[in-house]
Amino acid sequence: MTTNLTERSHAALGDSTLQRALGKATNTFIERRREAITSVDDWEALRVRARRVKEHTINHLDHYLTQLVENVEAQKGKVFWAQTGEDVSRYIIDLARARGVTSVVKSKSMATEEIELNHALEAARIVPVETDLGEYIIQLANEKPSHIIVPAIHKTRDQISDLFEEKLGQGRPHEVADITRLARQRLRNEFLSAGMGITGANFLIAETGTLVLVENEGNIRLSTQVPKIHVAVVGIEKVIPKYSDLSVFLRLLARSGTGQKQTAYVSFLNGPRQVDREPGFEFHLILMDNGRTRILADEHMRESLYCIRCGACLNVCPVYQKIGGQAYGWIYPGPIGAVISPQLQSLEQAGELPFASSLCGACRDACPVQINLPDMLLGLRAAAKESKIDKKAGEQTMMRGYAFAARHPKLFALGGKLMRTFTRLMAKDGQVKSAPFAPLSDWTKYRDFPAPRGGSFRARWKKGTK
Amino acid sequence: MTEVGKQDGVLDNVRRALGRTTTVAPVPLEDFAAPRAESDPDAVLKRFIDEVQLVRGAVHLCASNDLVPTILQIQPPEAGEIAISGSHLLSDLAVERELVANGCSVFNTAGVDHEKLVTRLAGAAAGITSVDYALAETGTLAVSSDEPAALLVSLLPPVHIAIVRRAQIFASLDEVINGLGQQALEARAGGRSVSFITGPSRTSDVELVLSIGVHGPKELHVIVVP
Repeated sequence: MTTNLTERSHAALGDSTLQRALGKATNTFIERRREAITSVDDWEALRVRARRVKEHTINHLDHYLTQLVENVEAQKGKVFWAQTGEDVSRYIIDLARARGVTSVVKSKSMATEEIELNHALEAARIVPVETDLGEYIIQLANEKPSHIIVPAIHKTRDQISDLFEEKLGQGRPHEVADITRLARQRLRNEFLSAGMGITGANFLIAETGTLVLVENEGNIRLSTQVPKIHVAVVGIEKVIPKYSDLSVFLRLLARSGTGQKQTAYVSFLNGPRQVDREPGFEFHLILMDNGRTRILADEHMRESLYCIRCGACLNVCPVYQKIGGQAYGWIYPGPIGAVISPQLQSLEQAGELPFASSLCGACRDACPVQINLPDMLLGLRAAAKESKIDKKAGEQTMMRGYAFAARHPKLFALGGKLMRTFTRLMAKDGQVKSAPFAPLSDWTKYRDFPAPRGGSFRARWKKGTK
Repeated sequence: MTEVGKQDGVLDNVRRALGRTTTVAPVPLEDFAAPRAESDPDAVLKRFIDEVQLVRGAVHLCASNDLVPTILQIQPPEAGEIAISGSHLLSDLAVERELVANGCSVFNTAGVDHEKLVTRLAGAAAGITSVDYALAETGTLAVSSDEPAALLVSLLPPVHIAIVRRAQIFASLDEVINGLGQQALEARAGGRSVSFITGPSRTSDVELVLSIGVHGPKELHVIVVP
C-alpha cells in the first residue's frame, strides 16, 4: 500500500461527493434496519440463538466440515480444500482450461474479492464478468468495493452514467432504471455464453450438504442455473449444522443487511443439477482457509469467525460513516474489517486498522451475532503496541509514566497539579489549541483540549464538596 | 487438470487450532423454540396477500375454472410466447391446452435439453410454474427442481406467473424450512435445488434507489386457486 490510513482518510473527508453519498447511504440503512427489526417478535432472542449456533459450530468446526464434505460428495459434488488464495485460483484456472471455458460469470463474493481471483483469471486469459450491478460498476471503474453488501455505495448516479457511457458505448443512461436496463441487457448475453458460474455462499448446511445463497437481483440464480459448471468459493467458517438453523439466520441476515424481511431470492443448492438426465453438469465446492485457522487458534479472536457479512456494523460506525470503505485499504472495511483484515493479512500490513475506531460500541449492538467488536479491536491494538507496529514511542513512554504515577499516590497528586498549571498556562479561552510536543500535539492537531477548571477531584472529595 | 486427491491439510489445521488431534462428534444444540405461528387460514391468506403486494408482486384469487382467463388477462396471446414448467398442477388443470385453444403460443419445456431450454426461455414473454410452498410471513414462494424446468421458467422470462393452491400457503418460515430440511435429508443423493422467490428481481445498488427487474423477472403474478 502506497498511502497510509490517515492519508486515505484525509482524501475521503475532503471529497464532498463521497461525503454526501456516504451520509445518505448509511442513514438510509440505519433507518431501514431499525424498521425491519420491529417486524419480529423477539429480535434479541434470535441474536442470542444465532450466536450460540455459531459458537457451537466454530468450536466443532472439524466435525461439521467433515459432515458437510461427506454429504456434498455423496451428491456427486467435488470438494477442494484450499489453504491459500493461490490454491483457489489455480484450481479454478485448471478446471476452466480442462473444460475449455474462456469466460466466467461471477456473482458478488467477498471471498473471491479477498483473494483477488479476477486478477488471476485475467492473467490466465479467462474473462471474469461481475454480474451483481454494484460489482459490475466497480469492475468497469476498476475499483475495489466500498461496502460489503452495496459495493458501489460511494458512487453517485451521475458518475455511474458517465462510466457506462464511456465503457459501454451505448449512449448515456440517465435514470437509475436506464442504468439497470442497460446492465440487464449486457449481462444477459454474458450469462448465456459463459461456461462457468462462480459464487460464494452465505451458509453451508452440514447435515444435508446444502449451499445457501441470499440475493436480490437474480444474478446468483442465473450464475448457478445457466452455465453447466458451478464453482462456489467459501470460507470454512460458513458452515452451520442443520437445515432448521436457517430460519434464525435468514430472519437476521436480510433485516440487518438491507432492512428487508426477506431478500428477493434465496437459493438452496444440492450438488450438480440433473446428474442423471443430462451430462455435463458439475458442482465444485472450494473450502478456503486463507488465514481462518490462524484466527481459529486464537481463543480471544475466534468469535470474529461468527460474522455473517451483513454489513450492519459498517453503517452504524462513526468512522465508516465519514471515511467510507475504500479508505480502509483492505477488502473488508468497517469494524469487522478492522478486526479481520489484520488477522487475514498480518498485523504488519493492516495493523493501523484497529485504531480506526472510537470504540463507541455501536457495532457490537448492531451485530446480529453479537460479536464483541470493540473488545477485539482493543486486543489487536495491544498486539500492535507489543509488536512495535504502532511506533509512537512518545505515547508509550507517556502511558508507562502514567501507569507508574497511578500506583504512587503522592506522585500522582504532584503530577496532577503540574498538569493543571501547565494546561491553564497554555489555554486560550479555556481551550488548549495546540500542545507543544508529540504525542500531545498529534492529538491537538485535530481537536481542542479543555483546560481543567477548579481543584482536583481528590481535593474536592476531602473538602466534602460535590 | 491438477490432481486434487485427498489433500485435507486444512482440516488438520482446523483440528490443531482447536487443540485436538481427532474429530469428536459434539452433543447437538437443543432445538430452538420457534415463534408461534398464526393458525387461522383466513388470516394466513390475508398476510400472504399483503406481503406479496408489499414487495410489489400482484396477487389474483380465482376459482380453478377461472385460471386460464386470469392468465390471459395478465398475459394476452399477442404478448408473446408463454413457457410452462413440468408441473403436475398445470397439467391437471390442462393449462397448456386451454392457453393454446385461446390462441396463445406455448412453449412446453418437457424433455428439452439445457442449452435449447435456456435460449428459448430467454426469448419467452412469460413463464408459468406452480410452487412447492408459499410462505405468508414474507410473501415468499418456494420453487424447486422437483418440478422440471421450474427454476429457469421462473427466472429467465420477464414475467413470472406462479400458481399456488391455498393449502400450500404456510404461516411461518420455520414450517417451510423444516419441510424443506426434511426433504433434503431424504433426498441426500440427488441434486435437488430450491429457490425462494419474494417479489420481482430488484436492486438498490445505485444511490439506494429501488429498481425492479434487474436480472430476473420484472413482474411477479401469484394466482391463488382453491
